[in-house]
Amino acid sequence: MSFRDAFALALKEVMRRLGRSVLTLMAVALAACLLTALVLISRTAETEVLRQLAKGGPLASIKVAAAAPDPSQLANDNARPGSPRDLGPQAARAIGQLPDVTSVVPVITSRMIFVPGPGAGRSEPPYFYDTAVGADLRDPSLLPISVLAGRLPAPGSLTEVAVTPGYLERLRLDPTQPEKVVGDGLEMGAPRVFDDLEEQTFRALWQRTEIVGVVAQEAAPGGIVTTIEHTRRAQRWSAASDGDTGDLDLSDSPYTGLVVVADGLDRIGKVRRQITDIGYSTSAPENLIASVQRYLNVVEIVLTAIGSIALVIACLGITNALLAAVRERRREIGVLKAIGARDRDVLFVFLIEASLLGALGGVLGSLGGWASASVVGIVVNSYLTAQGLLGVHLGPSWGVLLLGVLGSTLLASVAGAVPALKAARLPAREAVNES
Amino acid sequence: MPASGAPISVQGLAHAFRSGSGSVSALDGVDLEVPPGGYASLIGASGAGKTTLLAILGGLEPPQRGSVVVGDTDLFGLEGDGLARYRRSTVGFVFQHFGLIGTLSALENVELASILTSLPRRARRARTLALLHAVGLGQRTTHKPGELSGGERQRVAIARALANEPRLILADEPTGNLDEASAQGVIELLEQLHAERGCTILVVTHNRAIAGRASQRIALSQGRIVPASNGPSADWESSGLDRRSDGGRSE
Ligand SMILES: Nc1ncnc2c1ncn2[C@@H]1O[C@H](COP(=O)(O)OP(=O)(O)OP(=O)(O)O)[C@@H](O)[C@H]1O
Ligand SMILES: [Mg+2]
Repeated sequence: MSFRDAFALALKEVMRRLGRSVLTLMAVALAACLLTALVLISRTAETEVLRQLAKGGPLASIKVAAAAPDPSQLANDNARPGSPRDLGPQAARAIGQLPDVTSVVPVITSRMIFVPGPGAGRSEPPYFYDTAVGADLRDPSLLPISVLAGRLPAPGSLTEVAVTPGYLERLRLDPTQPEKVVGDGLEMGAPRVFDDLEEQTFRALWQRTEIVGVVAQEAAPGGIVTTIEHTRRAQRWSAASDGDTGDLDLSDSPYTGLVVVADGLDRIGKVRRQITDIGYSTSAPENLIASVQRYLNVVEIVLTAIGSIALVIACLGITNALLAAVRERRREIGVLKAIGARDRDVLFVFLIEASLLGALGGVLGSLGGWASASVVGIVVNSYLTAQGLLGVHLGPSWGVLLLGVLGSTLLASVAGAVPALKAARLPAREAVNES
Repeated sequence: MPASGAPISVQGLAHAFRSGSGSVSALDGVDLEVPPGGYASLIGASGAGKTTLLAILGGLEPPQRGSVVVGDTDLFGLEGDGLARYRRSTVGFVFQHFGLIGTLSALENVELASILTSLPRRARRARTLALLHAVGLGQRTTHKPGELSGGERQRVAIARALANEPRLILADEPTGNLDEASAQGVIELLEQLHAERGCTILVVTHNRAIAGRASQRIALSQGRIVPASNGPSADWESSGLDRRSDGGRSE
């Protein structure tokens, strides 16, 4: 018997017991729905939690400080740096040439005075000190920076800045509406200390800027993000200070730090050791990410197991329905054999019937699961954005959908094996038995 | 296709069914010869072993003791796919209960038999339609068994039995579920096909008029062949029904 003929026969049988088939199918579909939804949600949760941890930047990023490594801190995610040490383009190049390093982005921070322009919020007093974090913004995807509203400053710009949620807090602005601050003005002053006669005085190099975005960032401690060109200018101005400059955190180092991206999470440790050998202190959330990943894996395993158990139970429903069908159709199966069907033809028809139910249930269920996961995603998204956090992205995961369909088809055919074997072994004599 | 009928040769066939308490003897030393292209009727009381004999001849039941040869096939030792091939290509079975699949149309039911062979789809369809025409159901091809009368259903079943050009047709009470007129029609159809195609026919019946039409009449009683009186008016039925006296005679 060809596959096409066996399929047609199986389909007719499914249609004959439509009510029972629909119920069986629905059980499989619901279970497949549960399985795909759980797997999708746990997968998304995993990537999203890690994304939040990495502030939207690359997971495998390492921060290098302009300081010597402290040997006792090597196994620590947030290693306490040793004594200050100049970090310049030469060191950056050396690190960039290490194997397993994808990219190196220099960062310069600078203590500055900020005066918010006329806008939404109000700070007390009307000016404040904060650290401006300047980075090479040509490829923001290499930086642990994620945009919550607006955009990043254009690379090289001296007049555009982005602020962090800390700025909104300082100005007592609503953190759930970061977009409101976009477009506001912000005066930034790089201070220089003059030791005039007996008195110390400040003079600032002022720059009028516009806030073009709100970001969350981990590149370096600081509440304002701008271009490295901007902070370099500020750093040079402040460096010419004389007298007591303790508050300014001045350093001779050309870069305050580097953001190094390794080829993968598993390479972070190796790269950190090599940077230590070059002589700089590093920090990376590798231990944190690894343990979070472990916990999330456990969650994923548990959720997948729950979904799989549901699917197995649903497929037992297929076994049950087909066993009943075999019992009811003993004579028909006998007739089929009496007119020449081989055992394997009968086996085939029943297996196809089972996998047909499984495949249909799997398709419906996987789509349903994806839909449910998307609904959950939308709810979670609105919650997260209301909390001023990054929203989640729940894309269609073809792998998971395929898993749902193939998994239920396969399980269903395994579930159909018992009744199919039973039917195949029925004696042809059943055709003439009284019933 | 004259002379394509398969001869039946049965010798010393014995068959018992194991049941809970012991074993029930269904056939007890049956000897039977039907010539190629023969037309035989098989009568006997309920429980005499008619269906069992037919099932063994049709390859539905493996024989236990004795010898059974149909055409050039020795049914002893035939099993699994070999037996299925024998059922598929040598035998056409007609049941009292018609044995049609309720979800399939008349056409599909008949086609089912040739689906099991490797006949190309197009040839299969053409042959099926020709068969349905031959049994007088050319206009009812799309009807499901539930939409056909008993007589029409049996005609579909006969068409299906013929689908693979069998050399032997075994009919187990083909008219048992039919009224007299339909029964007459079905028997006449079988006889017509027998005449046209030359296949061997063995019909089990309780109807003495029908039994009498066959050129060879066989009677079974308690699993043994007993002399069958000739002619439709013969009083074979009482000998078959009176099992105790019959059994005494045979022992
Ligand atoms: N599967 C079985 N298991 C046990 N005993 C059986 C089985 N099939 C038939 N028998 C017994 O074998 C004997 C012959 O049965 P069979 O069906 O061949 O009779 P029959 O002549 O066809 O009767 P009927 O005219 O009622 O159809 C009976 O005694 C019956 O009880
Ligand atoms: Mg019988």
